Amino acid sequence: MTLHVFDPTHEGKTAGFALAPRLDTLRGKTVGIITNGKEGTKGFFTHLDRMLRDDLGAAEVVWRQKKNYSAPAEQEIIAETRQWHAAVTGIGD
Amino acid sequence: MQTATRPALTAKSYPVDDFAAAQEFFHSNGWTDGLPVVPPTEDAIAACLDWAMMPPDQLIGIEPVRAQPITAEKLAINAVMAGCLPMHFPIVAAAWQGMLKDEFLLHGISSSTGGCAVLVVINGPIRLEIGAASTFNALGNSDRATSVIGRAIRLSLINLMDVRPGGIDRSTLGHPGKFSYCLAEDEEDMTWEPLSVFRGVPNDGTSAVTVMAALAPRQIMNEWTTDPKEILETFAAEMRANQRHYSIYGGNYAIIIPKQLREHIQNAGWSKRDIAEFLYERARIKRKEWADVGKAAIVRDRPEKVHPALESPDHLLVIAAGGPAGGFGAVIPPWMGSKTKAVTVPLGVCVDCEPG
Repeated sequence: MTLHVFDPTHEGKTAGFALAPRLDTLRGKTVGIITNGKEGTKGFFTHLDRMLRDDLGAAEVVWRQKKNYSAPAEQEIIAETRQWHAAVTGIGD
Repeated sequence: MQTATRPALTAKSYPVDDFAAAQEFFHSNGWTDGLPVVPPTEDAIAACLDWAMMPPDQLIGIEPVRAQPITAEKLAINAVMAGCLPMHFPIVAAAWQGMLKDEFLLHGISSSTGGCAVLVVINGPIRLEIGAASTFNALGNSDRATSVIGRAIRLSLINLMDVRPGGIDRSTLGHPGKFSYCLAEDEEDMTWEPLSVFRGVPNDGTSAVTVMAALAPRQIMNEWTTDPKEILETFAAEMRANQRHYSIYGGNYAIIIPKQLREHIQNAGWSKRDIAEFLYERARIKRKEWADVGKAAIVRDRPEKVHPALESPDHLLVIAAGGPAGGFGAVIPPWMGSKTKAVTVPLGVCVDCEPG
């Protein structure tokens, strides 16, 4: 007997966050790093910072650390991102 | 079947040949916890909604970080899959109301490498109405109601918040409570106030659900005393052990006190408040103790700093549950200090109101 079963997922009905437009180059750009401050992120982001400047030509790399590593960044950090061309966030442990 | 008075479901539906086909369909889509599910048919979903008097599009809440709306219909689909009967559904919905409060930090607790589960504690007359058991095997497969309610929480996290292992769920280990982690308090066999009343729900027979982002239970044993202080010292030692071995930071801890130990404490006239105040004082360590367990690197310049396991006595969840014999108990630690807070939600007070 055929059963009709219903989809248990959100079916893609999410808030619809969109990715920012991609940059053609990071040369001369300001890149922000929003770190959660976890121990293992220091070496990773330090290396990434160096790559952004030396290999990819970023003009400036700005570091900001969230107060709670499990919660979203504070509003003042979000506001500051508007002055950046790109941001690295959401990774690191 | 849809009736003239029943609002139509809006979720996408799929035809499957039979029960076995339904299993493969759900598993292959990543919609399960790996166990078989009850096929969510229209009648079963509608029965849950009818029981809770919720239209399909009723908003249970919005997850604050990802702005994800949680509707009654989608929650009911997952509850049916978990094996819930309609009478179980209001508890699942109330638990989600609590989980969606900002202070619960749902995104953080469900995505963390820390691997916690959502512990659900049921209080009030609804425990008896749904047949929730509070005695034997209270933290295991004690009964149908708590098993399926806890499972409904996990399935809905998987399907409505994408909390799949390796997806949003980044747990390093997780624990077995991530299949189902629900218990009811043994209110008929205790002199204490229910957990919900301790946490501010009126003591007038209002049923309530408490949710807490919780690690696995740590079992203790002390059968060799009747002194409440000695019994609670064992609980305190386990809390201190968690501070040393896992996280030093204070947060909500739950302790489960089964009947044998509970009677000694109750007979001595101790209340839940007395227990909480005792453990607040006794469950604390100095930062330098981290050096004893291989964590000297993070003692830094604060060796004498004292870290209580509880930020205040109010942060302890004392729960009476467990079988009648055995000098056992359990400490259930928080996911990570006070970054998340336990939330208690009264049932049936106002379905459109903000959770309490």
